[in-house]
Amino acid sequence: MLKLQNLSKIYSRGDIKAVDNINLDIKSGEIFGFLGPNGAGKTTTIKMIVGLLKPDNGKVFIDGIDAWKNPIDAKRRISYVPDSPEIYDKLKGIEYLNFIADMYEIPKEIRQERMEKYLEIFNLKHAVGDIIGSYSHGMKQKLVLISALIHEPKLFILDEPMVGLDPKSSFQLKEIMRKRCDEGKTVFFSTHVLEVAEKLCDRIAIINKGKIIALGTMEELRNHAEERESLENIFLELTENE
Amino acid sequence: MNRILSLIKTDLNTTFGFSALEYKFKSKKDRWQIIIFGIAILSLIPSYLLIVNGLSSLYEAYRNIGQKPMFLLNGFLYSQLIVFIFGILYVMSKYYFSNDLSVLVPLPLNPRDIIGSKFISLMVNEYLTSLPIILPFIIIYGTRGKEGILYWLYSLILILFVPVIPLTLASIIVMLFMKYTNIKGEKDLLRIIGYFLLLIAILAFQFKIQSITQNAMIEGEDFFLKMATDSNLLVRKLGLGFPPSMWGALSLSSYSSIIGLLNLILFVGVAIIIFIAMIYLSERLFFDGLIGNLEVSISRGSSKIKATDYNKKIPSFLALGLKEIRLLIRTPVYLLNSIGGVVIVPIIFIISTSMDGGQSLEGLNMLIKGNPHLISIAGVGIITLLGIMNCVGCTTFSREGKSLWIQRTIPIKAKDQIFGRVLSSLLVQFIGVGAVLCTVAYLGYLTIENVFWITILGVLGSIAMAELGMIIDIYRPLLDWDNPQKAMKQNLNVLIAMGIGALYLLGVGFLVYKLLDKVDILFIYGIMGLVFIITSFVLYMPLKKLIERQFQILE
Repeated sequence: MLKLQNLSKIYSRGDIKAVDNINLDIKSGEIFGFLGPNGAGKTTTIKMIVGLLKPDNGKVFIDGIDAWKNPIDAKRRISYVPDSPEIYDKLKGIEYLNFIADMYEIPKEIRQERMEKYLEIFNLKHAVGDIIGSYSHGMKQKLVLISALIHEPKLFILDEPMVGLDPKSSFQLKEIMRKRCDEGKTVFFSTHVLEVAEKLCDRIAIINKGKIIALGTMEELRNHAEERESLENIFLELTENE
Repeated sequence: MNRILSLIKTDLNTTFGFSALEYKFKSKKDRWQIIIFGIAILSLIPSYLLIVNGLSSLYEAYRNIGQKPMFLLNGFLYSQLIVFIFGILYVMSKYYFSNDLSVLVPLPLNPRDIIGSKFISLMVNEYLTSLPIILPFIIIYGTRGKEGILYWLYSLILILFVPVIPLTLASIIVMLFMKYTNIKGEKDLLRIIGYFLLLIAILAFQFKIQSITQNAMIEGEDFFLKMATDSNLLVRKLGLGFPPSMWGALSLSSYSSIIGLLNLILFVGVAIIIFIAMIYLSERLFFDGLIGNLEVSISRGSSKIKATDYNKKIPSFLALGLKEIRLLIRTPVYLLNSIGGVVIVPIIFIISTSMDGGQSLEGLNMLIKGNPHLISIAGVGIITLLGIMNCVGCTTFSREGKSLWIQRTIPIKAKDQIFGRVLSSLLVQFIGVGAVLCTVAYLGYLTIENVFWITILGVLGSIAMAELGMIIDIYRPLLDWDNPQKAMKQNLNVLIAMGIGALYLLGVGFLVYKLLDKVDILFIYGIMGLVFIITSFVLYMPLKKLIERQFQILE
């Protein structure tokens, strides 16, 4: 579903390799966790996948489509939730959702059904008629999540999705992610919360200084570690050794 | 003191992006952007030279009637008046709506520290407005009259102080306005309307004062005799409309005598005193007007949605246009500059012609009687010019700011981006068409024919202008702003677009001028329409490519 081939990004200042020749192949129906310390290259990688940052080298394939050659086709299949929800403060929540639904050409009946469902799940129904500027950080985050789910994307990409969410919404999001994968859709997300990755992900990649330093299921990662231990210990061990 | 200096330094840095510029200049790609931007600025020079040339003739005219200092008065009056009007707009957003307030207010700072630093930063910004206006006046006067070294020394001091008084007045007016409109409820709406009325009132007042002084001047019997003996007579009479400008002009025209020095002291002294007064006033006014703005409006959850709130599917371009219009209308700064901009030009025209007792209207009537089609042609020209002055096209991507990621990750074609955004600009233009037609009606020339041509050709011309603005804006979008004012009025893209747009319109105008009286008027309308359509098409292609490219490579 998502294939990264020799993906690299060098920032023009100081020749820093933010992402260094990454290769990943993520299958349909997988929940894939992308871990790494601050500044490791997680957000840069995600931005290259969703079309916000042009790779200096390498390719991104979404459902077999070259995302940088046929961006519109690729974007129809994905949705992206950034780490900070910068959205139009002067629109009402419902207006923003309708706007996004129009972009993905969702008919009225379907959008209504999906919006109602997710507004209910994330407990945002009472506020969706208000201006987004009046929302808290968490409410904005939830609105972006709902807008990203309206077109039922094949590939759901989230950058640090748990930040700012209350425990209940965080739980609901994990449920949604699990359910999507059961339906054969794919979830790719970055996180700092190791417990989430440990419990939720089918496979995990750990990135440090732009390079993938570990990749596999939780079980495989454990086998590679010196002792069979928690993800936290594996993470610390790997990122410190680098 | 260190604290205030640090505040000023940080404010200037964020306003003008010095650190960001330094960062940009180090990367090769961005360096090119800066160079191309420099070339674009140079493209404004021809229009500017044309104006300067006109000023030289004005100097000669005043010299011939022995009232040379009037030339200086014009310079001071224009620059101070424009600083004042821009000041009213800038002060509001800088003092009350910028994002840094939520950082500054909790710090242990007095209102006077915040206002003082913001004032200085605004003043530096206002030099960009005042210098291009005042400099030609001072240089032409100084070089033509071969004035001495003291003249240039005085000039330097005066130029430095030119923005102080108008900007201080603007600060006081805005602070009072904000204090007394800080009412719960429909605060935003009240403020937009109030603000608009305030601007109109100020303009009306200014024009009225000028016409009163003009009339009073000519009434005296021995006026011409006095004029021959006193070269400062006109300045002293007309300068009463705004005395600081008069002091500036008199100090330069009499720089070699004590009168010049006294006027210089008056100019600088009053500026300093009124500034200090404003700073003290800010202690009592600033927070009263501000606190309401910083209140976090809590989502009340009272506005439940209905089944009808889930819209029917509409085409992407239409949804985008709708979103643009909503944001324009709901963001006071955008509303004032876009719709306010297209409405204020005709209003200024009506005020300025009605306040002088109809003298200027007579001249205009004579001109139009000679060629009745001039009304339509001028109307189309004004609408097309408003197409760039409404700032909608040339800031459309900049206004997205940090939310641009949405546009870049949704599956929307460049074509739809163009259609939607042009559409939002045209909606504003229709309001401008309405305002211009009202002005035509006020002049008494409203005919079906005028309405038809002004609307059709005006809208066609506006499409090209919106596209031109979009090309400039997507090429160098200003996305990293903390205050919507920066995205629109402090966005250099507006200036560049206006410069190029004005050149283009001059070209079309020249063509029409050459054809006028030689061919049938319908043929001229046809040519104008054709030029607008071809321009729109020619601009569409590179714009589409540029959007596709920039959406990929922006970082």
